[in-house]
Amino acid sequence: MIIRRHWLLGLAFVLTVAITGVSAVRTARKALYWRSHMDEPIHGWMTVRYIAHSYHVPPYVLYQALALPPKPPDKRPISKIARSQKHSVDDVIGVLTNAIIHARPPNPPPPPEEGRAP
Amino acid sequence: MNVRDLVLAALAGGGYPMLFGVTTISAVGVPFPMTFVLIGAGSLIVQGEMNLWWVLVLASIGAVLGDQIGYGLARWGGRRLAHKLGRMNRVGEASLKKAEAVSRKWGGTGVFFSRWLVTPLGPWLNVTSGISEYPWRRFLLWSGLGEILWVALYVLLGKLFSDRVQALSETLGNLTWVILGFFASCVLGWTLWTYLRAKDPGGRRASHGFG
Repeated sequence: MIIRRHWLLGLAFVLTVAITGVSAVRTARKALYWRSHMDEPIHGWMTVRYIAHSYHVPPYVLYQALALPPKPPDKRPISKIARSQKHSVDDVIGVLTNAIIHARPPNPPPPPEEGRAP
Repeated sequence: MNVRDLVLAALAGGGYPMLFGVTTISAVGVPFPMTFVLIGAGSLIVQGEMNLWWVLVLASIGAVLGDQIGYGLARWGGRRLAHKLGRMNRVGEASLKKAEAVSRKWGGTGVFFSRWLVTPLGPWLNVTSGISEYPWRRFLLWSGLGEILWVALYVLLGKLFSDRVQALSETLGNLTWVILGFFASCVLGWTLWTYLRAKDPGGRRASHGFG
């Protein structure tokens, strides 16, 4: 009877508990996923330096892959780099992923641009 | 390009003014992905693109300044509006006084925890504190302590997990809503419980009987 009169309060309580519970489970699942997956996917907001830092590869490897000079470091997000090079973000992500695979053990990274013989 | 891309790009370019600006306006109530910004700043510190102390000082001052703007606007503009709306909706002066009393009693605790633990409530509590004329010096103290803790906590987490900015900001963003949901559940549950007890004195007697 009391619940019927104040069903709004009861409903709000049940809904809040349910939404909080579902969110808690989703958060825990996501945290567990990140614990077991070392690499986070490359996104358009990321800079080349951040990707190099995140994937533990030398930045010049990624600059070389994108045909960019390593110095001064390009601090634009890759979405902007893709637009200036008239490629899609997915294409740039593909190039970077390929470069990362080849720069990581057992593949040694190529020497930096300035270290090469003229 | 979305807001997140723009903010991150500006930060990566050595954008201390950008960091100061976004922390200020987000504290006033403009929605910005601040978890992401502070964690991103922590990562940029590790990458040698930003300085830890500058980030901590500027982000803290920006956030505290934004809080004061929200509080000030509510106190000198919102209070008059609240009284006007109160009269229009026939909410008496006594009800407003009661709300002010509650704010004075719990305001400091609320302001402190809404700065770093349940951050989505922050701008709202600035407004309620201003409208209820919560003493400004106490508001400044609690908002300052809370904001410094918030900035330090998130920037240091960003430093610690500097290669996982996306993952960490997503997890922390979700966690904030879970904590907020937990508090809301407690408040609603408590309200429901006290109402049921008040309306069911028999039940109260019965429960006391076991004691």
